[in-house]
Amino acid sequence: MGPLIPNELIPAEWNFVIAILIGIAFGYILEASGFSSSRKLVGVFYGYDFSVLKVFFTACVVALIGLNYMDYLNWIDMTQLFVQPTYLWAAIVGGFIMGIGFLAGGFCPGTSLCAVGIGKIDGIVFTIGLFIGIVIFSESFTWLQPLYEKSNLGHITLDETLGISPYLIIFIFTLIAILAFYISDVVRKRVKKVFY
Amino acid sequence: MSATYTTKKILVKRSYQFLALILILLAGGLFLIPKHQKHDGIPPEQFVKNLLSTERYISTDLLADRMVNQDPVLLLIDTRTTEEFEKFSLPNAINIPLAQMFDENLNGYLNQEIYDIVLFANDNFLANEAWMIGNRLGYQRLYVLDGGLSAWFETIIEPPYPKETMSKEAFELYAFRKAAGKYFGVANDTVEIATKVVKKKVPKKVITKPKKKKKMPEGGC
Repeated sequence: MGPLIPNELIPAEWNFVIAILIGIAFGYILEASGFSSSRKLVGVFYGYDFSVLKVFFTACVVALIGLNYMDYLNWIDMTQLFVQPTYLWAAIVGGFIMGIGFLAGGFCPGTSLCAVGIGKIDGIVFTIGLFIGIVIFSESFTWLQPLYEKSNLGHITLDETLGISPYLIIFIFTLIAILAFYISDVVRKRVKKVFY
Repeated sequence: MSATYTTKKILVKRSYQFLALILILLAGGLFLIPKHQKHDGIPPEQFVKNLLSTERYISTDLLADRMVNQDPVLLLIDTRTTEEFEKFSLPNAINIPLAQMFDENLNGYLNQEIYDIVLFANDNFLANEAWMIGNRLGYQRLYVLDGGLSAWFETIIEPPYPKETMSKEAFELYAFRKAAGKYFGVANDTVEIATKVVKKKVPKKVITKPKKKKKMPEGGC
């Protein structure tokens, strides 16, 4: 049956309308869970709040398990889903830069816009910085292009690369998630509480 | 404290443990669900619709016309056994016996998007079977020679002379069939199996299989 738009169960013109609706819902949930606070977000680095880790890991595991059951029930065809291509070195360098930015500024791109939405000054400053970063990247793209395009490994997935069953990966991933939740709780209890 | 209160307290207190347990059970459940065969190709409803339609049939006259005009996208495939094929077949036909449809070397002829493939056998039966398998798997541009080689012999090689009371079109068709018969090597008014396979080397048609473009939804964070 699914995915709904590529299989033309929903006309392609609805693509952007649905994207906006999902975007609004996503922003609302982010704000409602307190993700527009940079103090909450960086708590994961200092060990006093692991909400970010828990929320994103849970979302990941739920989607992973849910999609596989839906695939089994023929509600969605997993082979038709878009797999982001892996640009290995670009991802490593980019991830490192993003990590520094996240730690220094207290937001990731999505949550910074969320903070702008509720009028937070640090969010606005962060977003201005974000756009400066985009301009620098765009202007120096010819220089960065080799790094950006060199290590393209294509649309690879873990199960294909390692040659093991995807269900085993899901199971291991779920266990890792639960272990991470447990350890993060232990760490949080030992770290001095921060009130914000 | 009532019993229900105690259970509720445990449920609230240990809610995260329960959620973790549910996640593990669901993830483990993926191992336990029975494997199901995923079918390639078109959905069954579409297949039945195609099956009931007679669009797949191509008449012997139309085929002869396309062969005489040396239609470059025409590819004839004989679905009978190799022994039968070696006795006689249509000119330039390729032999792919039904049982060998999925041979690595032969399947590429059927699963393609470039040629109009006409499947034929002695009658409709074998060709229809091959067509059904191919159609279900989503192979493109498959046709069946209506009536098979029997019809070919009855119409092109040995066409019946129309009755005097028949229409002009029937005579024209007869003339066309006679001419086509001559093209395929039938000597004047003597009937013989003229389409005996001439062992001339037909240059192997190389069919490049274009990669199917899948509509991929673009995504990103």
